[in-house]
Amino acid sequence: MLNESEEKSSHSRRSFLKRTTATAAILATPPVLVKAADKKLDEKVAQRFEQVPLQLEVNGKPYSLQVEPRVTLLDLLREQLHLTGSKKGCDLGQCGACTVHIDGKRVLSCLSLAVMQSGKKITTIEGLANGDNLHPMQEAFIKYDGFQCGYCTPGQIMSAVACINEGHATSDAEIREYMSGNICRCGAYPNIGAAIKDVAGRGGGQ
Amino acid sequence: MDKFFFDTSAPFADIDRVDGKAKVTGTAKYSAEYELADLVYGVLATSNITKGTITAIDTKSAEKAPGVLAVITHLNAPKVPGYDEGQNPTKGQNNGKGLRIFNDNIIYFNGQPIALVIADTFERATHAASLIKAQYNKEASHTDLTEAIKNDKPIEGDRYKENTRGTKDAWKSAPVQIDTTYTMPIQVHNPMELHATTVRWDGDDKVTVWDKTQGVVSTQRSVAEAFKIDPKNVQVNAQFVGGGFGSALRTWPHTIAAAMGAKKVGKPLKLVLTRPQMFMLVGYRPAAIQRMAIGADKDGRLIGMLHEASSMTSTYETFNEGVVAMTRQLYDCKNVNTKYNIYPLDVSTPTWMRGPGEATGSFPLECGMDELSYALNIDPIELRKRNYAETDPENGKPYSSKFLREAYDMGAEKFGWKNRKPQPRSMNEDGWLVGYGMSTGLFGASRGEAKVAAKLLPDGTLVLQSAVSDSGPGTATTMTQIASNLLGIPPAKIKFELGDSSFPPGPTQGGSTTTSTLGTTVHNACESLKKKLAGLLKTQESEVLPQDVQFGNGEMRLKNGNVITYADAIKAANLPAIEITEASGRNPEMQKYSAYSYSVHFVKVKVHPLTGVVRIDKVVSAADAGTIISPKTAASQMKGGVVGGIGGALMEEGVIDHRYGRWVNNNFADYHVPVHADVPDVEVVFVNKPDPILNPNGAKGMGEIALIGFAAAVANAVYHATGKRIRELPITPDKVLL
Amino acid sequence: MINFDYTKPSTIQNAIGVLNKDAGAQFIAGGSNLVDLMKRGVMTPQKVVDITGLPLKAIELRENTIQIGALALNSDVAENDLIKKHLPLLSQAFKAGASAQIRNMATVGGNMLQRTRCGYFYDTALPCNKREPGSGCGALQGYNRMHAIFGTSDKCIAVHPSDMCIALAALNATVLVTGPKGSRRILFTDFHRLPGTTPQLDNNLQRGELITGVELPLNAALAQHSLYTKIRDRVSYAFALVSVAVALDMKGKTIQSARIAMGGVAHKPWRLTAAEDFLKGKEATLNNFQQAASLAMKDAKGYGYNNFKLTLAPNTIVQTLKTLAQIS
Repeated sequence: MLNESEEKSSHSRRSFLKRTTATAAILATPPVLVKAADKKLDEKVAQRFEQVPLQLEVNGKPYSLQVEPRVTLLDLLREQLHLTGSKKGCDLGQCGACTVHIDGKRVLSCLSLAVMQSGKKITTIEGLANGDNLHPMQEAFIKYDGFQCGYCTPGQIMSAVACINEGHATSDAEIREYMSGNICRCGAYPNIGAAIKDVAGRGGGQ
Repeated sequence: MDKFFFDTSAPFADIDRVDGKAKVTGTAKYSAEYELADLVYGVLATSNITKGTITAIDTKSAEKAPGVLAVITHLNAPKVPGYDEGQNPTKGQNNGKGLRIFNDNIIYFNGQPIALVIADTFERATHAASLIKAQYNKEASHTDLTEAIKNDKPIEGDRYKENTRGTKDAWKSAPVQIDTTYTMPIQVHNPMELHATTVRWDGDDKVTVWDKTQGVVSTQRSVAEAFKIDPKNVQVNAQFVGGGFGSALRTWPHTIAAAMGAKKVGKPLKLVLTRPQMFMLVGYRPAAIQRMAIGADKDGRLIGMLHEASSMTSTYETFNEGVVAMTRQLYDCKNVNTKYNIYPLDVSTPTWMRGPGEATGSFPLECGMDELSYALNIDPIELRKRNYAETDPENGKPYSSKFLREAYDMGAEKFGWKNRKPQPRSMNEDGWLVGYGMSTGLFGASRGEAKVAAKLLPDGTLVLQSAVSDSGPGTATTMTQIASNLLGIPPAKIKFELGDSSFPPGPTQGGSTTTSTLGTTVHNACESLKKKLAGLLKTQESEVLPQDVQFGNGEMRLKNGNVITYADAIKAANLPAIEITEASGRNPEMQKYSAYSYSVHFVKVKVHPLTGVVRIDKVVSAADAGTIISPKTAASQMKGGVVGGIGGALMEEGVIDHRYGRWVNNNFADYHVPVHADVPDVEVVFVNKPDPILNPNGAKGMGEIALIGFAAAVANAVYHATGKRIRELPITPDKVLL
Repeated sequence: MINFDYTKPSTIQNAIGVLNKDAGAQFIAGGSNLVDLMKRGVMTPQKVVDITGLPLKAIELRENTIQIGALALNSDVAENDLIKKHLPLLSQAFKAGASAQIRNMATVGGNMLQRTRCGYFYDTALPCNKREPGSGCGALQGYNRMHAIFGTSDKCIAVHPSDMCIALAALNATVLVTGPKGSRRILFTDFHRLPGTTPQLDNNLQRGELITGVELPLNAALAQHSLYTKIRDRVSYAFALVSVAVALDMKGKTIQSARIAMGGVAHKPWRLTAAEDFLKGKEATLNNFQQAASLAMKDAKGYGYNNFKLTLAPNTIVQTLKTLAQIS
């Protein structure tokens, strides 16, 4: 049998606000007046019921949040924490633009549920540089022109750093294969490869 | 101190991208990344029928869903006054009435937006959008180009007439002929950034739009026209654009929808397309079926060519591009007849995509030339050189510059073309068949109008501003490079600001013309600044002319050996800054010339005999793109074009199930674009010779030639490797095998 | 995506308990398949049960087997020294799948249960008997280039997309499962199903059962000659058009026994027993390989766009065998 306390969320928050007329009906005010307040209140109420608490660390900073279980880590970062460095290129795990590190491992944040990251340490592109000191990989990307539009770049860099840390940057072919989870439609691959090769040669992931 | 001075005649230094730091640190903000107070989210619900009318649309569940503020459909959409004019201000350069979003109940294509759901969070908006249910009066739909060619009449019009130069069908009389049909599927730009618009109304007739656009001014104009407001009251921001490749040349209906939505709820609204929607709502390269016939004499001299291309457009707009033009422009051939047919299908409107027209037309043309080369047993490069056009074959004009021969040679040299064994299927490497192929690309070079504001500050920094955007080529970097060169100010002290419609109007970044157009303006602005700086040195006695001054290292050195920094000069003049706004336009001189950029692609493929797998083993692309201003970004452009070319050659294929008229692979897992492992090292060779006429920097366009023709080079290489001519893109293992 | 409830049980029993209490509940491991399907509305669990907290991540050498926990990450298994040594085929298959990031998320259990990638299955606006039994199979006469050539039915011609599973099939794996009624072992070859009339069922897992791991018998001889070949539309980060996993027990030039499984061709990992039987005791010659391959293709059937697989599949078998036997 299930240990009740295991259930982090109350049974069915999500279905809470199927009808939004409730509050309106309750406050004994003419609907017109109520409308706005109504909506806002309902929404806030709904929000509370749809959300679950979440604590995680992003770029070394602890966050204590309330999120809906359906929120992806990517959307959490972008829309709630306003860390828009991680990009959304497909939202379906097919492009790598949203690559971040969770506990040091590169993953796709668009397919990661935020709630599942409870207690995890997230690193995003914003957390890579040390103040104004860019990470060697960031420098190398600039040096080798490892991007054009720049949109896939945060994902590429996060992936590249991990690629080296994993030990998967020991040859051009290996770099290509292990960087294939990051699509660059601008076609910066050759330059990205060069940047990684350079950093790997200098022994530097994170 | 001389050593610090720039040598203006020296090639441009290889500077780092000026927006590099923003891009590698995640601080570069794209149009969906602005944090606005009270921001709401719009998500489009789309039709799942292909043709017909909406008879009922149930928005109740969506409206009742948590967080939903409004649902906009054709039944309740706010007025878009511009729609009432019988024309659609957002239709771009297409003919037709355009898609007036939420204007009526007509469905033109599967995936057409039928509602905009607005909610307080992205998740809620997305979910609510999934709750929209429409009922339709469904009509039979047609999305199959092949069927259309069989059964329907193409659109009529001047552009679509049979166009004969010289004798019609002269190729038929030639001793050596090829006559083949080439097929290309739909290709989709798929820039990595999802198209997004963030809109905030700052008053009834004042609006700020953060948009993914290649044309800041054009978006400003479109929005203004749509809502019938003063363009000055439309502030468009596009500081960073995550790739466009043509998909952001137009202002698409979703941008208008976002503005409608923001207006409706009275809050800033962000609308981001999904990747699947990107296949339908921001254009694509239309499929094409092309007949290419070439006749030549035994020596390979072209006697006649036929190029008939059939392609597609939507039923509500007529999109066309110059598919058959390249055949008329590249080779010296007297008799050319071309025809361009387009068929309206129940699809969304296609649009320009990197190398529009030429990317399509070059495939049969350059494969045809290759087929001919084997028919003649003449080396493909040699065949091309034998038909090298010294003047524009279509109008006889001289070229403002043409260094294609150099490109052939430099490329062949770099590639090792000489190692190619002429016989098909004659080369092997560890069990793989090896093939060499090459092709030519061409794209018109031109120059347009632009303005730039330039401000030289007392601290010696230069600020340049223009309402242009940069989807990746590196406009700001190139412009910085130009200014740095001309003024002798280190790039770090130059700030080229763009993506803001409050700046002087810049060009739309399309047709590979940005460098040519805006580079001219920047060039001229620098010269004007020099004038102004020199003016500061005016003595009692006389004017100081710029030509009497050496500008460099942030200083002016006078004939008399005196040196004064720009900063000191400005301070001495007690000025806050030197400011000018410079405009530049077309070069009337160019009327007399034809101008093209050229590329030559060399490709080595490996083909696995048993499994049909094709690997691109080596690429060399040589280009005649005039002066190379920013070598690093220029090389990147070329490589990027090659990567796009690999995609088109080997994997990209938009698939619509014609039974339903619906896309079946509109995502990145099913619509394959090249990944890192698909791309070998790409070597880029620039002829790097200035075009003396087109613009003061001598630069021609490059973004598109980087891709044009590439598919043909691959197909040619595959033929060389296997002896099998594949005339249908993409060249996937199945086509190789069967 | 609909919103859903989220719970993260800390014991296997609790995890199973939730599923059995709530038909709307579904396990999530890496989420790399489930979240995707949820975004597309193909799967709509009302409750998502995060099993990543369960102690099922170990990769252990037992007496004659290696046991891999269901929550072991694909990347961890691929890189694991035991696996590389004893089950190189599995390591190769893993590395051939998805991308480094996804392999860092994907678990062994999730990989096994990933759903087909058929476009008609993914698009809720199109017919699909797997997603919506009775709605028809869009692929049957539609765009079926990726689809199955073996074991199809007129209800469904989807393929199972996993690479890992092809290796597991070849390696005689056993799936370890715990459910409301206790634990059981399922031969891997019995784990996935053919579509038949119930394409909605991918496999024989019962509702509420949790995969706890896979067990692989060790076979040093096979480990010496094993190879996974994957043919796809691009070099990486794409699903197989056809893939072949082969392990040979060679004595000199003689094949003592062979294990061959094929991917991208059926609704389940396709074990080529006829070819295996044929090769048993035979010399490793091209001729024998070709014969084996054509035996393997006996019941194959094309549906149009995927007809090429009728050629690609045997060729890939031959190619893989050739490579292993070092025949050119």
